[in-house]
Amino acid sequence: MTTISFDLIALNVITGFLGSGKTTLLRNLLASDFGNETAVLINEFGEVGIDHLLVGEIAPDTVLLKSGCVCCSIRGELKDALVQLFSRRQKGEVPKFCRVILETTGLADPAPIFATILTDPMLRHHFRLGVIVTVVDAFNATLHERLHPEWTAQVTAADRLVLTKRDLITDEAGDALQKHLERINPAALILTGAEVKPQDRLLLTAGLHDSRPEREAERWIQNLRSRPQNESDNRGVLSNHEHSTHCRINSFCLVFDHQINWTAFGLWLSMLLNRHGQNVLRVKGILNIAGADYPVAIHGVQHLVHPPVHLPRWPDADRQSRIVFIVDGIDQEIVEESLRTFCEYLK
Amino acid sequence: MCGLCGLLGTEGDWSTSIASALPARQQRFMRIALANKILSFFRLGLEDFQGVSYVLTSPTGRREIVSDFGQLWRVAETLTGRPIDPLDPALLRWLSSAPQ
Repeated sequence: MTTISFDLIALNVITGFLGSGKTTLLRNLLASDFGNETAVLINEFGEVGIDHLLVGEIAPDTVLLKSGCVCCSIRGELKDALVQLFSRRQKGEVPKFCRVILETTGLADPAPIFATILTDPMLRHHFRLGVIVTVVDAFNATLHERLHPEWTAQVTAADRLVLTKRDLITDEAGDALQKHLERINPAALILTGAEVKPQDRLLLTAGLHDSRPEREAERWIQNLRSRPQNESDNRGVLSNHEHSTHCRINSFCLVFDHQINWTAFGLWLSMLLNRHGQNVLRVKGILNIAGADYPVAIHGVQHLVHPPVHLPRWPDADRQSRIVFIVDGIDQEIVEESLRTFCEYLK
Repeated sequence: MCGLCGLLGTEGDWSTSIASALPARQQRFMRIALANKILSFFRLGLEDFQGVSYVLTSPTGRREIVSDFGQLWRVAETLTGRPIDPLDPALLRWLSSAPQ
């Protein structure tokens, strides 16, 4: 396949529930080396935007997307803001930034934001998906999880989870929360604190759509292999050990020894997401594709699947395919039987 | 590109964006053949249309243009008036018993 190679601008998203520390993290990021070559979009729900004033001291060209939530009511404004930013960059009116950080409202679901990029015929040729950073307020995590479904959408969509206010809870509760987050989003990297240290380069770089996707994929593979085969984790071990009976979210990892027919897999996943996309919160995996020498990484959030990424090599001799699902109210056995049937009989 | 109408034969759907040693046209027909194995359970049929889109036909002869596989299942549900669910045990039994 012939491809044109040129630099696309990474769109990174910082999300997290109200009061979790998104703006603090953003300010710290902009004050660090990450602040170079970075454009900032801030989305606020209230009538009067405040966060952009706090950040504006550091990044004077910050753009405020106000009066609505970027994931639903003002997606058109997000597109317009990105187009205008790109236009100003090309005209030399703003410095040549290489990444955009979008800080969402505390109530946003990140998935539709990336859909805006992937489906827009203009944006998708100039911007690429970066990483979703979700800030988790450790002190209020249990309450947020129990009362606000947006919290779960933000945590399950994350590539990086940043735990804030960890010092306000006991070590035991902090460890339990971290384990809980690892269970409901096993593919995310978990960092503690809103301070940005030089070693935190993973915070905004090295995503699957970076120039070196194999580094992110190798980290996934390590995470996936650390989980017992076909293990299913029902949620409920919350930081205060309170069982959340109304939640039906669980994650599981399916492992395949044989090579997978890509066409059959693509038909199956597109069917699954068409019918159950609302309840398939996340799909992430490394596939050994029939006829391909190297693995393919797939990555989906709800109805949206990112373009699959060919990796340049296998990290070692293990050639198993592994796919993690984070689902709401769907049984692992049913998903596994369905996928195995499609792979076996659709040839 | 189609020589008659000059349309570019590209799809935006994620499942068709993977690189392959097979020619694009051949991949396209393989995909249609496999999709038809599933769709025949619902008495639907899929055909290529000019190498740029697809035509989905219902048992009553209704035909709908489908631009890519991202739309296929939604249009199929509209034509049949029933859910197209890959987790449906009846569909799985039918797939596993269908001749290869």
